[in-house]
Amino acid sequence: MANILAWLSSSGVVQGIIIGAVLAFITFQILARIKVTKINGWSTLYGFGVPGNGMLLRAASYRLFPGPINVPAEAMYWTTSVGGVGNYIMHFPPGGIPQSDAFWSLTMSDAKNDFVANPINRYLVGDRSGLVQNPDGSTDIYLQNTAPTGHESNWLPAPSGKFILWLRVYIPTAVILDGSYQVPPVVKVK
Amino acid sequence: MNKFILKYAYPLTFALLVLLAWVVYQRLSTGIIPLVVAAVIVWPTATFLFIYFWPRLILGVYKRAALVKGFGNGPIPVNTLYTQPQALFADPLHVSLPPGSSQLMSYGTNLDTLYVVGVLDLTKGPQILHVPDMAGRYYAVQFTDPADGTNFAYVGKRTTGTKAADYLISGPGWKETMPQGMKHISSSNNSVLVIGRVFVENDSDIPTAYGLAKQILIMPPSQSQ
Repeated sequence: MANILAWLSSSGVVQGIIIGAVLAFITFQILARIKVTKINGWSTLYGFGVPGNGMLLRAASYRLFPGPINVPAEAMYWTTSVGGVGNYIMHFPPGGIPQSDAFWSLTMSDAKNDFVANPINRYLVGDRSGLVQNPDGSTDIYLQNTAPTGHESNWLPAPSGKFILWLRVYIPTAVILDGSYQVPPVVKVK
Repeated sequence: MNKFILKYAYPLTFALLVLLAWVVYQRLSTGIIPLVVAAVIVWPTATFLFIYFWPRLILGVYKRAALVKGFGNGPIPVNTLYTQPQALFADPLHVSLPPGSSQLMSYGTNLDTLYVVGVLDLTKGPQILHVPDMAGRYYAVQFTDPADGTNFAYVGKRTTGTKAADYLISGPGWKETMPQGMKHISSSNNSVLVIGRVFVENDSDIPTAYGLAKQILIMPPSQSQ
């Protein structure tokens, strides 16, 4: 046993295999990242789960979303993580709310991807949560720990620290599927 | 441990590379050739293996979570569907999630749909999926090949409508006659992940949505007549 260990630790071949495997894992991570689309801080991927979508895209898919989620035609998913203490806002321009033939939602989770306890028991906002438009037709979503005075209907309660957001659009329309729709950034309120 | 690795991924990778560089440096005096040859062979080979097997690895974990731990009602037997209970859906903070349950059911937080999850084993013959009349409600049942992670078939509002129907899901090489009144879903793998999602409008809609989700069933052909 000791001989084997001594041979392993002194063998150039074993060290070479270990080095090759580590470099391979890093190369895989880099290659898988190429397929991810990141716009305005939101990561997504076009082609998840579609048969014939290619080996590298399949690997990238399950690296970004490690679970059996839907194909884009059924639902599109975006995620972003927002760091640091503060109040944040998402500003959808007029007509910029995600277009869907089913429904959409923006779901809040803490840094561990768990729901966030809050006094109004609201864990997501979306097409069925009574979002109020601004006079110019745009929509603001307030992402903060305490209620925004006068904008409670558009408040998605956040933890006091880092958080992760999930945007889901079920049966998305063509402008989403062809990649021309862009999710607005999460902006820190000054 | 995983969270630690994720949080410090870049510094850890850098430290590992420095360590490996040091090993290579130590080797320089005693003969570097075996190390370099091994590394040059392993690097591209292992890169290909990581890319090829990654979806299978992730879905293997998911399958085991379903079959061994379950998502709140104990392990999910093969060829049955687990319907997410109303109480668990209404409890997003997971206060009432039974100990020992896996939290892998949905990756990322989801409160839009009730989940229906099952793992099919088609080696002993096909299985039947029954869906009730959803009366226009959004729902989808996806069939995922755990070998490559592609969703090779869908039943649901987008693809088949919301009327009640029965589907026969067959594995590779199945050549018998289709039973009457059934649609056919052919799988190239005897193992199939079934993930159903039933839309929940709001809290007061949970009982209705659950009542419908509970009627999405997997059964052997002998029981479906």
